Amino acid sequence: MENAPVSKYTISFGLSVALSSVINALLVVVKEKSQAVLAALQKISGHQWVTHSAIVLILFGFFGWLFARANGGQGLQMTVNRLIGTILAGVVTGGVIIIGFYLIGD
Amino acid sequence: MNELFLMTHVLFGVGCMVTAVWLFVDVLHAHEENLTRIRRVSWAAAILMWLAFFIGGGWYVVSYPADKAIILKGPWPFAHSYFMETKEHLVIMLLVLATYLPIAASNNLAANPEARRVVLWVAAAIVLLALLVEGHGAIIAMGVKVALLAKQH
Repeated sequence: MENAPVSKYTISFGLSVALSSVINALLVVVKEKSQAVLAALQKISGHQWVTHSAIVLILFGFFGWLFARANGGQGLQMTVNRLIGTILAGVVTGGVIIIGFYLIGD
Repeated sequence: MNELFLMTHVLFGVGCMVTAVWLFVDVLHAHEENLTRIRRVSWAAAILMWLAFFIGGGWYVVSYPADKAIILKGPWPFAHSYFMETKEHLVIMLLVLATYLPIAASNNLAANPEARRVVLWVAAAIVLLALLVEGHGAIIAMGVKVALLAKQH
């Protein structure tokens, strides 16, 4: 595999964009289907959406930092094509889950 | 006053979208002379999105429940049950993407076509997602309007 010609943070936070987009969508499904989860999110900040947003943003920062520390601090390695594909796949998957859930699942 | 507050949310959201278009065009023509501007514009897109998010979020938490009640009693309840529910979660992805933009733009885009492609795809995703979210916002506003009009008749 070729070495990616972008910084380790471009790769690590790019992967984190994809991952946090999917987590965001899954959290939508879980909280809408479980009153207990919704109530817990509500209790933490006073509003479920505020807690939801904070969780996704914290995870985005955490996974970006974590992926940058992999491989002895060199960060995760991948080609730019794969990085772009992963980011877009994560965002599209997240979007489709959210839209699909409120269209037919809710 | 509440409506002006809400319009600044729209203004900053559109600002982020226009800035992402600007960034896309600038990155297509990236060279040493416009690298500094490209990085500043990427930061501007992220900052505008954070402003839109905080203002919209504040309005959503404090003022939207009254609009929600109006929408749900009107002829377009889907303006809340589908469009607002979807928008409030899509916008979190938009914020994450916009926050990533300055990170992707920190590479040497003048010398590196691969790094340019990352920024181009992310900027394009931001523009498309922002357009979708803006459209949702328009339908939500229309949901309030048709509900109030229906109440008069």
